[in-house]
Amino acid sequence: MRTWALLLAGLVIWTVHFFALYIVGSIWLTTPLARALTLALTLLCTGAIAMFLVRARRYLPETAMDRWVRSISLVGLGVSAVAILWQGLPALLI
Amino acid sequence: MRTETGFDHSLYDRFPTSDPRPEGELEELERIWCAPKGWQLLTAVNNNYIGIFYVGAAFLFFLLAGILALVMRVQLALPLQGILPQETYNQFFTMHGTVMMFLFAVPMVEAIGVLLLPQMLAARDLPFPRLSAYAFWAYFVGGLCFFASLFFGLAPDGGWFMYPPYTSLTYSPGINADFWLLGIGFIEISAIAGAIEIIVGVLRTRAPGMTLDKMPVYAWAMLVLGVMIIIAFPSVILGTLLLELERAFNWPFFDPTRGGDALLWQHLFWFFGHPEVYIIFLPASGLVSMMVAAMARTPLVGHNLIVLAFLATGFISFGVWAHHMFTTGLPNLSIGFFSAASMAVSVPAGIQIFSWIATFAVGRPRFNAPTLFLLGGIVTFVVGGLTGVMVAMVPFDWQAHDSYFIVAHLHYVLLGGMVFPMFAAFYYWTPMTSRHPLSERLGKWAFWLMFAGMQVTFWPMHLTGLMGMPRRVYTYLPGREWEVTNMISSVGAFMLAAGVLLFLIDVARSFRFTTDHDAGNIYDGGTLEWLPTGLYSARSIPVVKSREPLWEDPGLAEDVKAGRYLLPGSATGLRETIVTSPLLAEPQYLQIMPGPSVWPFLAAIFTAGFFILLTIQAYTPSFTCGVLAVVCVLRWLWDTDRRVKEVTVDAGAGVRLPTYVTGPSTHGWWAMIILLIVVGMIFVMALFSFFYLFGVQSQFWQAPAPAGHLAIILPAYLAAAGLALLSRRMLAREKTEHWTPGVLYLCAAAALAAGVGADMWSWIGSGLVPEASGQGATVYALLSLEVLLVGVGVLMACYLCARNSRGMIVRPRNNSLDLCVLWVVYAAAQGSMTGVLTRLVGA
Repeated sequence: MRTWALLLAGLVIWTVHFFALYIVGSIWLTTPLARALTLALTLLCTGAIAMFLVRARRYLPETAMDRWVRSISLVGLGVSAVAILWQGLPALLI
Repeated sequence: MRTETGFDHSLYDRFPTSDPRPEGELEELERIWCAPKGWQLLTAVNNNYIGIFYVGAAFLFFLLAGILALVMRVQLALPLQGILPQETYNQFFTMHGTVMMFLFAVPMVEAIGVLLLPQMLAARDLPFPRLSAYAFWAYFVGGLCFFASLFFGLAPDGGWFMYPPYTSLTYSPGINADFWLLGIGFIEISAIAGAIEIIVGVLRTRAPGMTLDKMPVYAWAMLVLGVMIIIAFPSVILGTLLLELERAFNWPFFDPTRGGDALLWQHLFWFFGHPEVYIIFLPASGLVSMMVAAMARTPLVGHNLIVLAFLATGFISFGVWAHHMFTTGLPNLSIGFFSAASMAVSVPAGIQIFSWIATFAVGRPRFNAPTLFLLGGIVTFVVGGLTGVMVAMVPFDWQAHDSYFIVAHLHYVLLGGMVFPMFAAFYYWTPMTSRHPLSERLGKWAFWLMFAGMQVTFWPMHLTGLMGMPRRVYTYLPGREWEVTNMISSVGAFMLAAGVLLFLIDVARSFRFTTDHDAGNIYDGGTLEWLPTGLYSARSIPVVKSREPLWEDPGLAEDVKAGRYLLPGSATGLRETIVTSPLLAEPQYLQIMPGPSVWPFLAAIFTAGFFILLTIQAYTPSFTCGVLAVVCVLRWLWDTDRRVKEVTVDAGAGVRLPTYVTGPSTHGWWAMIILLIVVGMIFVMALFSFFYLFGVQSQFWQAPAPAGHLAIILPAYLAAAGLALLSRRMLAREKTEHWTPGVLYLCAAAALAAGVGADMWSWIGSGLVPEASGQGATVYALLSLEVLLVGVGVLMACYLCARNSRGMIVRPRNNSLDLCVLWVVYAAAQGSMTGVLTRLVGA
């Protein structure tokens, strides 16, 4: 389970962020409150990504498989961080 | 060396063995896995046969839907043509889209998986061969009946996405829409059965040593496909159920005058419909990644990035459904979120494209038929991807929406992303299943005709759309400057068809199915499907040490064929395969596999009969078929979950494996968990519908049923879960006589029934009826789902009692009981949530 969590952490946080934004946009429509919540959620999820990044970097690989998991995890977390910022951007632009 | 299950990895060093194999071992293996003959083909369950049947059937539907497209192109070649009347044209475009998506594309990607995966993973077969057979026959028989509706003028005519209110009873009063709503029921069942098979197969039946990092990239693609199907399909299952309930019983889910909302359908449909595109594309992308490496004669560049791209696509594809709804008046901020996600999804697709180009660039590519189809597919897909980014821009989408530009875009994506790779795969893998490969010369002709035909057909459609021609019109007036581009598109369609015809001629001339005298590895692929095989797959199951084992160890094929690896014969005299751990693929136990049986075939026939007869409102025969389908499934299950006399066996070189294992590590447990995720997703989407309608139509809502009734409902569900778990615990006690697991489980099912009965009684007492409003409709829909779960629970209780009475629920642990307990615990949890959540909101 720990391996799967590490492997998919970034993508799961990205997904949570997206659906949270969808709920915010659907309930509070295009309002200042919705924008503020978007910002808060984006910061929260970016923080979660940072936390997992630290954990993934501390993960000491023993085998080739461990190294593979670590590299996928790190790249996934990095990509997800960019994606979360990108996903939150409409709240500033629209 | 870190282990996942405690397995000693040094045991791998014993392979390949050097001792000669015993006399008659191979003959015994061949006898056990013998090929079916004549009518026995209907009872075949082996993946070699089911895979080929499946591919052939899916291709048949591709041809049929293609013929519909050709007739439509003739109709549109000139303005005011009278070849197809409007009503028939509506049926044609609806059936073209529906058949291509539901009867060709999804089944084809699953079919290729059924055919290739066991060989690629060096398993004897997929873990549930009878389920594969059932999925295929239900799909094939049901699909043919569904298609035949066209000949009676009864085919659906509301477009492949069946938007209400067009498809509500008011505007579609006949049974055409019901054909779609009920007719694809068996396809949904079939797709989910296939997904369960594929997920468990990839995670649990890989060759020993094939850790996740050494897993073929195609297996990764199929794993993501399986997960996407179990998340996405429940949404359309629920949508079709709700629309059919509205049509049959007047429950107003989509009727805004009574608290429903037509847009709810669009949300449900596209939550399935957009991931569907990736469900089709990802497996094809996996195939391309395998073939590009083989054709370029070099390992795939960016293997890890491609795996990550698959995973990312799997996640993000669920965040783009509303880009099909940009013109429906969603809040601006929501539109912004979906637009951003729609642009982001092109990034993982781009990673794959660049990886393939890089692999070709660093390798020594051969420009043969498979390579041409690969390159043609990549070029076409890139064009479709770029127009996809264009329509992700909201202002552009507002202009292009529902125009021929979208038709061009989606065909570029689907043909480039799936159809061309599929033809490449046919040319590349035919030598694995045929005595002769397909012809290079005819293949190149077929490619150029298809590629040119594709561009000539669909490129002008961009212009036709930008000039304003809407989709789904059966004709148009002269003088609107659409004549020239339409004529070019029609000519191109026949060029494309000529290419497909040439391919068929090639197949008729060269393809000769075989399982043991195939043409072999003529393209020098590096993965395990190119090992010498019989119906039992590889003679012995190798220990995998790299991603391309055949390139790494040129002697591997010979060693495997000589039986120098694991399971070189049959250890129990039955069909069997090795189940391995999900991460590191360590051998865990020997799975005894079921052999040929007529019951999956009969169950499938009756399942298809149930849905089709229900559609034409022949209720008694339909329900008879439903009952017979259940009986056949139970009969097929009756033969399973039996112990063999050998408790452990030698799987080769002294590696001993148990033959019967219970609990969370078993493949059956995994399959049940996946099934429960499917059921759970249906429930989640039903809850979404409930809260969505409350959000947009709360003025129609009345006070919910009294919360005080939860004092009866929740304890009943708690008792059900508790009794079920107790039945599992009691099985381990040798001296239990009266409170046997069967009795306890029966009591658990009764408690479930009491829970849902009390909930139903509470709502009826509140005065709310399902026809009254969106609230009534969704509340009773949620209760109906629970009733369905309880019904299955009761059936399981009867089945367990029958097995128990025959002494087949063996102590101290039994898989049948374990899985049934999981079901009841889940049903109790869902019932409790239904009870609480439906009482949360109201007037």
